[in-house]
Amino acid sequence: MDLPASLHAAPRRGADAVRLWLLGWWQILLFGAHVSVLALAPSSWRRAQRHRIVRRIYLTTRPLLPGFIVLSALVGVVIIRIVLVTSQSYGLSRYAVEVLVRTLVLELIPLSAALFVAVRTTFADGDRVRAMRAARAFEDMLGRGIDPTRDLVLPRVVAGMFAVITLAVASGVVTLVLAYLLVYGFQSWGLPGFTRTVGQVFNPVIALIFALKTVAFSLAVSVIPMVTTPREKLAEALRINADLTRLARLLAVLLAVEVLSLIGNYY
Amino acid sequence: MEDPIDIPPGDAAPPVENLDRKARALLVGVALLLLACALYVLYARGAFERQQTLVLVADNSEGVVVGMDLTFAGFPIGRVDRIELGADGKARIVIAVPVKDAHWLRTSSVFTMEGSIVGSTKLRAFSNLLDDPPLPDGAERVVLQGDAAAEIPKLLASVRDLVANLTAMTANDSALNLTLRNVQTTTERLNGPQGALGVMFGDDRETTKKLGTTLDRTNALIARLDGLVKRADGIAAKADAQVFGEPGLVGESRAAIVQLGGLLGDARATLKKVDAVLREAEGIASNTREATSDLGTLRGEVEASLRKVESLVNEINRKWPFARDTELKLP
Repeated sequence: MDLPASLHAAPRRGADAVRLWLLGWWQILLFGAHVSVLALAPSSWRRAQRHRIVRRIYLTTRPLLPGFIVLSALVGVVIIRIVLVTSQSYGLSRYAVEVLVRTLVLELIPLSAALFVAVRTTFADGDRVRAMRAARAFEDMLGRGIDPTRDLVLPRVVAGMFAVITLAVASGVVTLVLAYLLVYGFQSWGLPGFTRTVGQVFNPVIALIFALKTVAFSLAVSVIPMVTTPREKLAEALRINADLTRLARLLAVLLAVEVLSLIGNYY
Repeated sequence: MEDPIDIPPGDAAPPVENLDRKARALLVGVALLLLACALYVLYARGAFERQQTLVLVADNSEGVVVGMDLTFAGFPIGRVDRIELGADGKARIVIAVPVKDAHWLRTSSVFTMEGSIVGSTKLRAFSNLLDDPPLPDGAERVVLQGDAAAEIPKLLASVRDLVANLTAMTANDSALNLTLRNVQTTTERLNGPQGALGVMFGDDRETTKKLGTTLDRTNALIARLDGLVKRADGIAAKADAQVFGEPGLVGESRAAIVQLGGLLGDARATLKKVDAVLREAEGIASNTREATSDLGTLRGEVEASLRKVESLVNEINRKWPFARDTELKLP
């Protein structure tokens, strides 16, 4: 979308700023809906397209997986140790496993996975897509009979979503294993109690909210970097780093999803 | 092989060998991981266990949440499935108990619900008689409620009273404090030069002197008593010889008793003679009784004769009307 000529200068009135802000969010929602419709359309999952998406998923997820698992394991060990020592000092060690599952697996790991994928992959992908769009590459592709949104953007969005979900689940499993080992050691007698506690935490409502939250994180991380909003165009025109604006927008969305999930879980 | 559409110009990455195969493996791996996680959560929530229900009826379900444990001996054996408000206004806590753990619950089991100060409310089961019949599926039991937080105000009130009492007891002018001071003074005096005597009689010198004199006299008295006891011992020895010696009192008594036996035999013979005399007297008395009866008969006959004479005189008087003298003179 071309920027209106009146907005090439800095907005002097509050109404202009609000209009720009709303326009930006509207573009993001519109793009998200566009990509979702494409993702659900059977034509996007034809053989050639499917191969393209699967390859993009692998190229996006595989490089992130070991690094993130190691990182989350290291941070997880530190946090687990802190929680265990603190709970033991207060005589509340029986609540330690539940606290760990709730804080690490339910809250911190999905959020950190989303941010990790955003910083490592989807922001870079967004830059490429925007660069292609700026270079009029999309028009060339359309001229050659290729839909750039379906063939270029959709695989990246799906790959970003898949990467967030995969990293969250894999790190969650690793963190659960580490929590068990740090609480009970290399013994199997604690498994029934540990499993029971995990089952208590993951009641149907919390499991559903956890799944929805992770999907929402992955969607936000995959969609927001792909869209250039009017404010970012203005920022680029004023030689201000637009990536910071995009990152702030992404953080705001992640925070809103996190707050909503907390409200759903605990109210 | 890379898709030319996918790579923006000037941003080509090195090709990945067997990309399709690896990509599919990643997809399958993640799908399996998700499936395993879902199955684990379902297993952890007891979805694959046969369960029976237990309904605990309580006045108040405050603190009870769906998913909390029912414990037996500290081990979770059941989980709150749902909480309902019954038609009688009481809370019905429906608990799912896995069948493999249900044998810990018996018909005589007791269930408690305890609210603690730290942490959530606890549901506990107690089964003292494990030989009783097992609890049937769908059984309803009344839960006994206890709330530690509710006890705090009572406890605080009691503690306040206790502290007030302690303060009163430990005050400077309290009875306990005065007693302890007295005890301390007494102890000091016990440790002093006059010892226990000083404690008992105080510091009065005169009394102490009198006490010394009394002790001396008592000692003298004890010495005399000792001599007296020795004399009593001698007397006792002599009495012993007199009583139990060869010509002693006991021997003579024994002879006297033998003689008394002979005398008693004589007395028995005399009594037999008296008995015979008495029998004879009895015979005489019977004879006398018979004679007395004969005298009765004789008297009857005399009375009959007199009546006949009287009737004769009356007849003569009737026939002899001139006679003045009606007096009858008996011979």
